[in-house]
Amino acid sequence: MKKKTLTASLLLALPLAACSAQTGNEEAEEADNLLSADWQEITDAAKGQEVNMYMWGGNDNINRYLDDWVAQRMKEMHDIELSRVPVSDAQDFINQLLDEKSAGKTAGSIDVIWINGENFKTAKDNGLLFGDFAGQLPNFNEYINQEAPEISHDFGEPVEGLEAPWGKAQFVFVHDGQKVDAPPKSMEQLAEWVQENPGQFTYPALPDFTGSAFIRHVLYETTGGHEQYELPAAEIEDLESRLEPMWEYLNGIEPYLWREGETYPESLAKLDQLYASGEVSMTMSYDPALAASEVLKGRFPESTRTFLLDGGTLSNTHFLSIPFNSSDKAGAMVAINEMMSPEAQTAKLSPENWGDLSALDLEKLSPEQQQAMNGVELGEATLSLEELENNRLPELSSDYIEIIEKGWMENVAKE
Amino acid sequence: MKRMFLPLRICLSLILFLFIGLPFIALLISSIAAGWQWPDLFPETFSFRAWEYILVGSSGTWQSIGTSLLIALIVMIINILLAVPAANALVRFQFRGKRLAEAILFAPIIIPPFVAVMGIHLTFLRLGLTETILGVVLAHISPTLPYMVRAVMVSYSTLSTDWENQARMLGAGPIHRFYHVVLPHLLPGIAAGASLSILISLSQYLITFIIGSGQVVTLPILLFPFISGGDPAVASAYSLLFAGMAILALFSLDMALKKYYQTKNPSVLKVKGAKR
Repeated sequence: MKKKTLTASLLLALPLAACSAQTGNEEAEEADNLLSADWQEITDAAKGQEVNMYMWGGNDNINRYLDDWVAQRMKEMHDIELSRVPVSDAQDFINQLLDEKSAGKTAGSIDVIWINGENFKTAKDNGLLFGDFAGQLPNFNEYINQEAPEISHDFGEPVEGLEAPWGKAQFVFVHDGQKVDAPPKSMEQLAEWVQENPGQFTYPALPDFTGSAFIRHVLYETTGGHEQYELPAAEIEDLESRLEPMWEYLNGIEPYLWREGETYPESLAKLDQLYASGEVSMTMSYDPALAASEVLKGRFPESTRTFLLDGGTLSNTHFLSIPFNSSDKAGAMVAINEMMSPEAQTAKLSPENWGDLSALDLEKLSPEQQQAMNGVELGEATLSLEELENNRLPELSSDYIEIIEKGWMENVAKE
Repeated sequence: MKRMFLPLRICLSLILFLFIGLPFIALLISSIAAGWQWPDLFPETFSFRAWEYILVGSSGTWQSIGTSLLIALIVMIINILLAVPAANALVRFQFRGKRLAEAILFAPIIIPPFVAVMGIHLTFLRLGLTETILGVVLAHISPTLPYMVRAVMVSYSTLSTDWENQARMLGAGPIHRFYHVVLPHLLPGIAAGASLSILISLSQYLITFIIGSGQVVTLPILLFPFISGGDPAVASAYSLLFAGMAILALFSLDMALKKYYQTKNPSVLKVKGAKR
């Protein structure tokens, strides 16, 4: 009996092993050519390719923009089949690429990825990215301000052409205009407002991305500006005592937060839900037009508005990149180029589609293109592009973020 | 049931409804709610945005349901083929390393699948099994097989070898013995194991995502980003669809089983008649 089961399992395993030896690697050489070829050759090579784009898939508007608007355009204009693969966290495909790298897989199925910040740094440090491809894209050369710090650096990490900017994000506070008459304009005013309206404000617990960004604003405002943090964190000796006012501030408002600060919403999604159901009067977003988009969906109340701090709010850029082992690199380059076109960026800006800020330099666009972009109805909940643009602060580099996230657990959450 | 005291029956049905029915009603409302403000018991306005998104257009929902069911079905068949001989050996034979074999078979229940799947992924990458339905099927076997083996073992433990010996004395070969004596007795156990196997396979997210690398799109792959990303309407609609799919799968299994018993009985009679 024992022998029988053994042979049975062996018989099962054999065909599996047989149908597995089918990985090619001619494509590795082609890849180098793409970085020096001219654009015509690349578009020719891209024809008929299937491009898989791996990206966060938790918003039906964004998904639809990709599936309907972008994918259809790719099919019609470039004969490229773009298919979106939903993931719940960018970390997922980074882990997958790490595994593929260590297993030596050369013909991967991930062609375009949507990343920034820590994920980009991990990908860059581990050699998971294709190469300096951004300079090959006509739309990158024509419409992007390549000298701008938010384009050349991603959370303090030099981009070096490994990824191409897709859009910009800027932190905004979201409030219900019926409940908050005069939104606070600084962290000091926010603290006053919170004390006068106990239980109406909270922020997502760290390490939530947006909660962490909220705290960075506290850091900038309570410790005297962002300039001092341009040095690497290790080079500032008295960092701990410099962070002290920030912890004092956060502990000061804690008793007046939602549920008296005993607990924090575990993610921005949960905070948005609290706001949508009217339990708190404010939420926050790293996407200035998201509130407008939620109003359109009917999830946020009509009286929803957004505001900035007088001292400005953090902004960053999100990027598209190509993994080292993509099987359709030419198609991926054409797709990324297309997504950076003024038409695609204008469509992306509309809250009906997504409401994501354009990565392009408005001044480099033709008058008609500028008009089209300015003509996008951003919704009453969104601030004007100009107002957003004039109040931008740079991001902290990721070594600080780690220190702050740990510090928050020790100094605020535990006390 | 009929003899039960009426108030008790009402009470039990109510509890059943509260625990099983009510969450579904909440999901249904949340899937069509637009702007649900505290303290309203029901949302002010409704919209079919979420349903429209998942059922119509390019979200790929139908295809993902097909893939989910296909994988669950293959996993179930392989599990039955593996579990029946394994349970037979574990229940009826004493051999060296029996405890070890059992421990290995049941390990996936205790060890979190995430730990195992990282190693499986690297191996499957080398074998070229990632991104294929076959690879996902094989990976799904590890969390489902223990339940199947367990269920079939229970069936085997109540089946005396005397029955088979009797059939052997009457001249039945091994295939006949298995088909006419062992299988009918095992069937309830197999059905129970198969239901668990189907349910567990349908609900796998992490294993499917890592081994399938996004190229094998099952319903949980589409559903998860909405749950963690926080669009309650779409997440609720997907959850209802998921529950519907699982119930449908279990229902079909049940129907198939009933059909088997129905066709089985006349055939038994026929054999008897032939002998007469």
